[in-house]
Amino acid sequence: MGALIVCAAVAAGCGDDSDDGGGDADEPVRLVVSAAASMTAAIESCAPRFEEEQNGEVRLSFAGSDELAAQIRQGAKVDVYAAANTRLPDELSSEKLLSEPVEFATNEFVLAVPGDSDIDSVEGVAEEGTKLVIGSESVPIGAYTRTMLARLPAGQEKAILANVRSNEPDVKGVVGKLIQGAADAGFVYVTDVNATGGKLKAIDLPEDLEPQVTYAAGVVSKAPEPELGRRFVDGLTQGACADALKESGFGPAP
Amino acid sequence: MTRPGWFPIVLGLSLAVALTFLTLPVVAIFIDSSPADLIASLGEPGALDALRLSLRTTAISIGIILLVGTPAAYLMATRSFRGKALLVTLIELPLVLPPAVAGIGLLAAVGPAGILGGTVEAAGIELSLATAGVVVALTFVASPFYVRQAMTAFAAVDRTLFDASRTLGASEARGFLRVMIPVALPGLVAGMALALGRALGEFGATLMFAGSFQGITQTVPLAIYDRFSTEFESALALSAVLVAVSAAILLSVKLVQGGDALGGWRAE
Amino acid sequence: MLRVEAATELGPLQLDIDVAVQPGECVALAGPSGAGKTSVLKVTAGLLRPDRGRVQANGEVWLDTARGVDVPAERRRCGYVFQHYALFPHLTAWQNVAYPLREIPRRQRRPRAVELLERFGLAERSSARPHTLSGGERQRVALARALARRPEVLLLDEPLSALDTRTRAEAARELGSVLRETEAPALLVTHDFAEAAQLGDRVGIIDAGQVVQLGTPSELAASPHSAFVADFTGAVVLTGTARAGAEGLTDVELDGGGMVRSTQPAEGPVAVSLYPWEIAIEAADGERHGSAQNRLVGEVISLTTVGNRVRLRLAVPQPLAAEITLASAERLDLRAGATVTATWKATATRLLAG
Repeated sequence: MGALIVCAAVAAGCGDDSDDGGGDADEPVRLVVSAAASMTAAIESCAPRFEEEQNGEVRLSFAGSDELAAQIRQGAKVDVYAAANTRLPDELSSEKLLSEPVEFATNEFVLAVPGDSDIDSVEGVAEEGTKLVIGSESVPIGAYTRTMLARLPAGQEKAILANVRSNEPDVKGVVGKLIQGAADAGFVYVTDVNATGGKLKAIDLPEDLEPQVTYAAGVVSKAPEPELGRRFVDGLTQGACADALKESGFGPAP
Repeated sequence: MTRPGWFPIVLGLSLAVALTFLTLPVVAIFIDSSPADLIASLGEPGALDALRLSLRTTAISIGIILLVGTPAAYLMATRSFRGKALLVTLIELPLVLPPAVAGIGLLAAVGPAGILGGTVEAAGIELSLATAGVVVALTFVASPFYVRQAMTAFAAVDRTLFDASRTLGASEARGFLRVMIPVALPGLVAGMALALGRALGEFGATLMFAGSFQGITQTVPLAIYDRFSTEFESALALSAVLVAVSAAILLSVKLVQGGDALGGWRAE
Repeated sequence: MLRVEAATELGPLQLDIDVAVQPGECVALAGPSGAGKTSVLKVTAGLLRPDRGRVQANGEVWLDTARGVDVPAERRRCGYVFQHYALFPHLTAWQNVAYPLREIPRRQRRPRAVELLERFGLAERSSARPHTLSGGERQRVALARALARRPEVLLLDEPLSALDTRTRAEAARELGSVLRETEAPALLVTHDFAEAAQLGDRVGIIDAGQVVQLGTPSELAASPHSAFVADFTGAVVLTGTARAGAEGLTDVELDGGGMVRSTQPAEGPVAVSLYPWEIAIEAADGERHGSAQNRLVGEVISLTTVGNRVRLRLAVPQPLAAEITLASAERLDLRAGATVTATWKATATRLLAG
């Protein structure tokens, strides 16, 4: 809801963007990073180190990658955009809103179930009466889910979709519902399951079903701090944040 | 001609600023795209489902709030007892709770893993990921708006009217229905309008507690949120409808309070 | 007949009363505000439960704390006229009057209500809402509503105090005739002794929760038991007919004989209001001294000593109370049966439209 208000306020002042160039020498340097929700734990842990190294402040904003892209389109003053897919950064780049995107990590798309669940495969989710929670169409995790489901035989795809009980705006919503006990299964990233500390378990999908989950990032065109932004993006492939991502379970750049 | 002092100018400016700030986002919703596009995107099934769901769940929750809240508010307004202040604070609490906290609270209470979760399930009621859950969330966040207003309205009614009703042979229940409620009506209607507006716009608690699924739990605010990043037109259209409905509610409240329907006796 | 006994704590006040009202009688309880008058009515109606008490109306026991009997207010057939009338603002006049008429069939309620309003001259206003009615009209609607279902007991709380002086006289007359007509015992409370005297057959002076004296108005004025009663009873009222007289004054021909003059203009039936302490007593054959215009010769009926004052009850021939110092009474050697002249000023002679 807050995002809506931000958009509205920004839309009202659209076009009045007066960029006063680089910050004052007296003001503390501040970097604004919009990153996909699935990176929350990793980026939050590496941001302090970046702040120390660069002697600045990092403002983090986590949400569904689609929502963050929409904010940038509306003119939000963001420096770095890191998404859970390559499509959104590519789109923004072709709209001249983002620098050439850099692929910096991969993630594994898994089926998540409560720790004590009987379900052990995607077929299990097709059973009638299973409560399934997935991401909404426009968020990367939701798009990946539908891509994966399309690779299944039509009957199974239909049965699984019929079991969907909620289209959450981001992975946090899916994980939340699973942890609450409201749903029997959900499709998220392995990093999200790792972050629950054992409450959920991840079921790997057969390789032919696995969608390729590649994370890409770039510096926003009208960024107030483009230099610092470039350094942050570089740090995603090599540096404190790259290490943090690896620790959380992200794979290396393809 | 006398020159206006600086103070009235400051007042005028403040008003202008406030007005602009408050009306601009609303106006922008309507100007940002053509009426034809707005209507077209409204016709899309997801949007219609969201509208129907919002209206249905809001209507049910308002019904519950009126039915349970009115006698409760009456009791609180007309009797004094030990611990009343505490009770009033408890009832008003959801008013100041951020919607996210309301969502957490509901989960902790009647969510699947909540205190009464087992009881709810055993009773065969499904709240999470179901329409009933939406109704619960709306009722929780909206009821303090009504109850508080109703309490004030009942407290303002002259008690001797109630005494008079009793001396004329009417039981307490009859006096409540035939005298106290009609006399307190403007306040009750105002409270209902506030609760209605709150329920229609509820987002956070609904999303956390009931989820977001077209036709089942995706109310208009959730539908707007789902669409705004990829189908901005559709989000605008739904927002416009919500604004129109809210405006209609406010207008009807003004009408009732103006007392036209009751021959203007409230102007006294 | 109505019997109300109640003893209860009302904040700092201890209410302790025992009043009996005969059928057709009106007992007026008069006293200063805060004396507990309204509480007496509330106990009778069942709106207030006393610590100890007994209320019996026409043979029916409505309250008996000793035996745990407490009939709820809605089942006691009381006609209660509230101080500010408590008319239901959202209902028209006839709807207000019809409110208690639950026992008669729906179709007959409106005609019956309009009939009642007609008795009070308000038939054309029957569809008006209370806020469009004048104070006097509202008072009459409240009265009609209280009488609608022929109550066992009539209770009136300061029935005239909310009216302006002009309407009050008219309303007092109207109320007086209603009280005379009704068989039900009536209990009325007021802070105005004159009102109590005009409407009540007997008046009880109530102070700090207790009835300090109960009797006819003239008894109270003439023989007050205490200084409080003496001060509270205040003005005495004589009735007569006024017409413009010589020297710009008004001549009032008193009913039963005697003539007094007043500086106030008036015409027709009037009530003459005098304060006992403004009346001076002289020997009957005394020469006229000073400027006092009014002189009435009469017989001393009784004398009551109250502290250092004496209240005289005279017959001029209407009952008149005069108050003089004990010293003066002794000096004039006054006693019952003596003939004296009561004198007072025309400027102290207040006239109230009759």
